[in-house]
Amino acid sequence: MFEKYLNSWSLLPVICFIFFIAPVVIVISSLFGDYSDNWSHLYNYVLGSYIKNSIYLVAGVLILVSIIGVSTAWLVTNYDFFCKNILEWALILPLAVPPYILAYTFTGLFDTYGTANNLVRDIFNLSNEFTLFPKVRNVPGAIIVFSFTLYPYVYLVSRMAFINQSRSILESGRTLGLNRLEVFYRLAVPMIRPAVIAGLMLVAMETLSDFGAVDHFAISTFTTGIFRTWYGMYDIHTAKQLASLLLIIAIMFIIAEKYSRKNADYSFAGSVFRQFDPLKLKGYKNFLAFLFCFFPIFIGFILPILELSYWAFNYKLDFFNERFITTAWNSFYLAIISAFMCTCLAIIINFSVRYKSNNVLKFLSSFLTVGYAVPGIILAIGVMQLLTFLDASFVGKYLNFLLTGSLIGLILAYIIKSYALASSTIESGYQRVNIRLDDVAKSLKSSGWSLLSSVHLPLLKTSFLTSVLLVVSEVIKELPATLILRPFNFDTLAVYTYIFAAEERMYDAAAPSISIVMIGLLPIIILTRMIRTSRPARRD
Amino acid sequence: MNIKSISIALIFSFISSMVFANEVNVYTSRHYDSDAELYSSFTADTGIKVNIISGKGKALMERLKSEGPNSPADVFITVDAGNLWKVQKDGMFQSISSSVVESVVPTNLRGPNDEWVAIAKRSRVMYYNPLTVSADEMENLAYEHLSDAKWIGRIAIRSSGNMYNQSLVASLISNNGVADTEAWAHRFVGNFARKPEGNDRAQIMAVANGEADIAIANSYYIGLMLSGKKGDEQRAAARKVNLHFPSQAGRGAHINVSGIGLMKNSPNKANAIKFIEFLLSDKAQEHIVNNTYEYPLSANVAPSDLIAQFGTGFKEDQTSVTDYGKFNPEAVKLMDRVGWQ
Repeated sequence: MFEKYLNSWSLLPVICFIFFIAPVVIVISSLFGDYSDNWSHLYNYVLGSYIKNSIYLVAGVLILVSIIGVSTAWLVTNYDFFCKNILEWALILPLAVPPYILAYTFTGLFDTYGTANNLVRDIFNLSNEFTLFPKVRNVPGAIIVFSFTLYPYVYLVSRMAFINQSRSILESGRTLGLNRLEVFYRLAVPMIRPAVIAGLMLVAMETLSDFGAVDHFAISTFTTGIFRTWYGMYDIHTAKQLASLLLIIAIMFIIAEKYSRKNADYSFAGSVFRQFDPLKLKGYKNFLAFLFCFFPIFIGFILPILELSYWAFNYKLDFFNERFITTAWNSFYLAIISAFMCTCLAIIINFSVRYKSNNVLKFLSSFLTVGYAVPGIILAIGVMQLLTFLDASFVGKYLNFLLTGSLIGLILAYIIKSYALASSTIESGYQRVNIRLDDVAKSLKSSGWSLLSSVHLPLLKTSFLTSVLLVVSEVIKELPATLILRPFNFDTLAVYTYIFAAEERMYDAAAPSISIVMIGLLPIIILTRMIRTSRPARRD
Repeated sequence: MNIKSISIALIFSFISSMVFANEVNVYTSRHYDSDAELYSSFTADTGIKVNIISGKGKALMERLKSEGPNSPADVFITVDAGNLWKVQKDGMFQSISSSVVESVVPTNLRGPNDEWVAIAKRSRVMYYNPLTVSADEMENLAYEHLSDAKWIGRIAIRSSGNMYNQSLVASLISNNGVADTEAWAHRFVGNFARKPEGNDRAQIMAVANGEADIAIANSYYIGLMLSGKKGDEQRAAARKVNLHFPSQAGRGAHINVSGIGLMKNSPNKANAIKFIEFLLSDKAQEHIVNNTYEYPLSANVAPSDLIAQFGTGFKEDQTSVTDYGKFNPEAVKLMDRVGWQ
């Protein structure tokens, strides 16, 4: 009965997968070890607030992100309004801003003596006691920070789904007496639910695993708890166990998502795309639609860029020297290599799952997806333990070379960390490739590599590029794993930003922060060009 | 980018990470720009290349542990004595035999067998607003006194996640025991002017702005702020506050160190010892005190004027800094129990 799994398309991916899964397994294996006394302390005093804050945070972020992501996507696909063509692509710009950088600018702006409050006091000549903006170092503040940097994940998938949505169903809804709003929330949104949920999963995992932003706001979440246990109580074992719990929560999310898809078949196998003209908005509706789409871009992109530029120009520009060039280059080539490898892995895995209906691999693939929910540094510890094991067992002995402290470890960590992004992009790309096509190809004696390279790859070109670009922008922002796994004298832009920001030297951190955003912008600009040409209805 | 250029990039990066003979490999959790200048000057003097990995102390410690005997690290530099104690306890250091170390560093600022030594000192002091707190009130004020009801709503201090606070509480546990320290911390937290936020500098700013009357923060921050390197706004704020050395009638002001340890499997041991001795040299000490505003170890070097103006002959707490590490986990749990965020 296992013969099915004994060929190159089934076995090879599984073997190469074990290598990628090992660090995650190393982290989870801590659950089978001893439980220290620190658990009773955690349970009695802090675990409750860690869990409570994490739930509030994730729930708040998911709600806000759905509202922003889905409604802006609906507006730009169905209506024509002021600056729409610009807003349509500008809406993904906040993807270039890491949550921790938005958190830093938020405190710089809205703290009692931050730029914004000082400005208000100066303009209206008010006393020092006057504070206009509410405090941001709290859970609602963090919800805003995460929502306005992460909503593009939901926006991207929703927009794609709305574009591919069958026009005739929506029009039938209209003729059956629904108004435009009802068509939106009773037909259009339920129909794209799986896409939105996939986007929300990414957002939830990224929020759960973040340390930089919540640490800066001093909110006790699960992640800050992990670090407190490790750094403060010197107990990395319990810290790993806490991280494993986080992983289990992520696995539950993934199962729930798979389950929600199972109930209905959402494929649009026979959709016919018809030319349709977006409705032109006039008067106050035109203005409101513009405002609604502009606001997220303003908070998530324009505001931090303005504040960072203000700091950089006023205080520190000498960052832009040759050291900057090497650092930026390091960030860039690492990101490209990782993104390319990660996407190839995702394609091979997804192909194998589809081609051989390989259920073992399907399971492993969702398992690797949880890598996205592991705090980077805990993942890095898993990677490190794998590498030192390999070094000690054979690499160091026979090859006279150490994997530890080489870029291999770093790339491995990046791939595990961003596999979820690549896999979900490729998976949704594959959903749009009709399975009957495979049968036709097979009947024409095209199978295995040739099916993949001459049939699938051309059809997946957009997904391939999207995946590479998403992973590039993720890797450029990555910090904790980079810090711990990098070779000697090796810096990336995120490392530079951290070195200053960790000591709240925001003026010094401004220039490297802007660079992260700018370099993260390159892939996003390419992505936006693809977005502009990706309206199937217009190609006819 | 094609496969060929990727492999070239990979091979290149491996070569560049390979080792050179005359070098010293440093893992450090100090990441000041000025330290890089210090290392260049060591290379200029000795021809020994300094390779750096910087990161968070605990993460570097985990890397050292995981690398084990294969570790390329020669020395580990960190800014908290607790970290040094932990590495020493895990048996990852070896004794530094050096006459320079013996002559420059007092025994309470070294490991039990000279596994690590301090390279600079800092004190965790109080800053107060002279407009709202009188010099009389400050006289002989100790950390222990900050639990008094008269300080309700007047104290600013950063979160308990910060290792300097953890070390301070650990030193109180070491001297007063867990029960007394917990009772103290309970009332102390009740006296906070605001939920702990920001770093040490933010606490000094809070006093300057009138959000709090008294703040606990490390001594070198005032030097950094007064230097004007951090902008006019911070300099102006720093001029509004006074520095107070706590517990002068008792144990003395809490002292912590930046320190360096010699790794057990140091592949370049001779270079590592040269490097440690260099950091204790007058030239290096001079550089440190004038850039980071820490206190020197060498008796031949005076602290920067910006920090010396507040007094140099203050009484230092002689509690062994290794106790900070020993009691650190207890300190964290205690702060959790009293709700110090």
